[in-house]
Amino acid sequence: MIRGPEARLRLVTALLIAALLPVIGQLVRLQILDRDRYQAEVDELVMRPYALPLPPDGTIRDRNGDLLVGNIPIYSVGAQIDLITDTQIAAAVLAPLLDLDEGALLEKFVIREDEEDLRWVWHRLAHGIRGDNAEAIKKLKESWDWLTLEPTWQRFYPEAELASHTLGFVNADGNGYGIEASQFHLLQPRPAAGMGEVDVLRVPLSEELAKGKLRAFAGTDITLTIDRTIQAFVEGELDKALELYGASGGTILVMNPQTGEILASASYPDYNPSLYSTYDVSEQGRFVDPAVSVVYEPGSVFKMFTVAAALDSGSVTQDWSYYDSGLIEYGGVLVRNSDGAGHGQQNLQGVIDHSLNVGVATLTTQHIGADVFADYVLRFGFGRPTNVGLFGEAAGLVHLPWDLNWSDGYLVTNAFGQGIAVTPIQIATAASALANHGTMMKPRLITERRTPEGRVVVIPPKVAGQPVSAETADYVVGLMEHAVETTIVKAQVPGYRIAGKTGTAQIPVSGGYDPVEVITSFIGFGPLPDPQLLILVKLDRPQVDLSVRWGTQTAAPVFNLVASRLFVLLGIPPTEPIDP
Amino acid sequence: MSVAWQQSTHGVLRRQEKVNRTLMTTFVVITVLVAALGLLYLGLVASSAHLSSDIWHMHSEMAEIQRESSRLETEIARLSSIPVLQARSVALGYQAAESIEYVDSIEVGAP
Repeated sequence: MIRGPEARLRLVTALLIAALLPVIGQLVRLQILDRDRYQAEVDELVMRPYALPLPPDGTIRDRNGDLLVGNIPIYSVGAQIDLITDTQIAAAVLAPLLDLDEGALLEKFVIREDEEDLRWVWHRLAHGIRGDNAEAIKKLKESWDWLTLEPTWQRFYPEAELASHTLGFVNADGNGYGIEASQFHLLQPRPAAGMGEVDVLRVPLSEELAKGKLRAFAGTDITLTIDRTIQAFVEGELDKALELYGASGGTILVMNPQTGEILASASYPDYNPSLYSTYDVSEQGRFVDPAVSVVYEPGSVFKMFTVAAALDSGSVTQDWSYYDSGLIEYGGVLVRNSDGAGHGQQNLQGVIDHSLNVGVATLTTQHIGADVFADYVLRFGFGRPTNVGLFGEAAGLVHLPWDLNWSDGYLVTNAFGQGIAVTPIQIATAASALANHGTMMKPRLITERRTPEGRVVVIPPKVAGQPVSAETADYVVGLMEHAVETTIVKAQVPGYRIAGKTGTAQIPVSGGYDPVEVITSFIGFGPLPDPQLLILVKLDRPQVDLSVRWGTQTAAPVFNLVASRLFVLLGIPPTEPIDP
Repeated sequence: MSVAWQQSTHGVLRRQEKVNRTLMTTFVVITVLVAALGLLYLGLVASSAHLSSDIWHMHSEMAEIQRESSRLETEIARLSSIPVLQARSVALGYQAAESIEYVDSIEVGAP
């Protein structure tokens, strides 16, 4: 048996170990066994939801990099009321900066009865403060720590109404139209919100930020195919045309038929996207892009597709001719030429030159047939959206032989663009197939996307189809060029070979067609043989003398003005000698 | 006197003293090491907190610079917008060209 100092030493050691064991046991319990429970308690005390400052939405630029839609920082200004030492001075200084009445501001400084028991009282003073006022308030905040500034963003349209229909707008829920709505999922920033250690003002602690758990990303930047200079010019010409001809509305589309790029899309009525929320409910109709969302009966412009279908399907040959008596009856529908006259023996060139309804109706009813004609209508993309990339694009309305509501009369009227509804973008796209030697390019508005990480995604041109052969397309273009040279002289541009076709379409109303009102249009492209520009001009209800209420008299001259200037702006030199 | 007592007061005790000294040295070394590691840990924590604070400030500055950059970008866009440029060019007396004449350039000295 051990006695003496050694025994005492062992005893003390044993006691110390015995005393240490519960401590170790508790540590094991706290750190391992009950860890989750205590962690939850700690989280309850210090963990709160917080968000990093919201980065801006993506920008939208034109093809040259000029800003069309940007973001400006705005601030919500608030105050911790219980910390304000002199409300009179504060109100006097802040009122002009917040664009508020001094009395109204003083009322916001009053602590309400239901707030008296609160540890601290915060009131929002104003929202949407920007520019110099925001800077001044930031400086005040250095001495007035009760002031709070919460930054956020507001969409800004530096060009005001320019390309408003293409750009569109979007509300906080993502509802709207135009590029803003269709690209909302890309344009909107990715906010960073989560749980973390925050201070009393819900500001994340530095350690929390250092963990880098949350990362906010700005929206994706988008570059459009639109050229703002061309867009501005085209909008100006549309305004002038509407005034000159007293038209109630109109559209001018400018497209590169070789790539499908939309260089300009102007429509009236338009609006200022910055002020969209201020427009009256009765003006909500402005928030529809007539170029893609409003359908109309194209009229004689459609004849180029009918002739192309007849040739490409082999229904007729290039030397086809017929005797034009001035009227044709088929399926219970009696059709006359627009001038009411018979034109005698005519060929395909005569049909296009004189825009003969009877000629194209003869082609569809006696040669092409309903099924083949319908096939070509679909091949040219009618009856379905072009998927140009805009929200709310209309599909148009085509009648097909296998539809329940099909009537033989449609085979007659569709031949010259009536009884069929299309959008301007559809008709321009279809015409681009003829201009581009039979290859129809998908119309597009977006040329490039740049992610916040700096990755650039280039959107290449895409072929939408080959509705007709190159031979057919080139032949029809030749017919259209001849029409411009001989009958649509107001569309001619000196020094450039132009092909085009006019349209003067009646407007369907309840029970038939409006006896007076029309939609006049012209589609032209050039310079031949490889057109780089396709221009569609459409004027709604021009109020000029009935004798000149035709596409030839109204839309064709507008085409001339637009094309003449755009060839210069785009640096496309003349291909033909110009007579002095 | 017992054998045990003799052992404890002579050779065994001395051995134990030697062992105790070694233990003490080890204890001191470990204590110093733990203290040094503790100090190092505290230093690292302090440095980390400082860096975290710097990061937060940089975050704030970055956000502020981004806001300022966007503000300036939109201001530049506004000042160079088509309506502003048109008004400015009219004020300066510029006019739209009436007609454009293209001139064929002939390479000088070409055979």
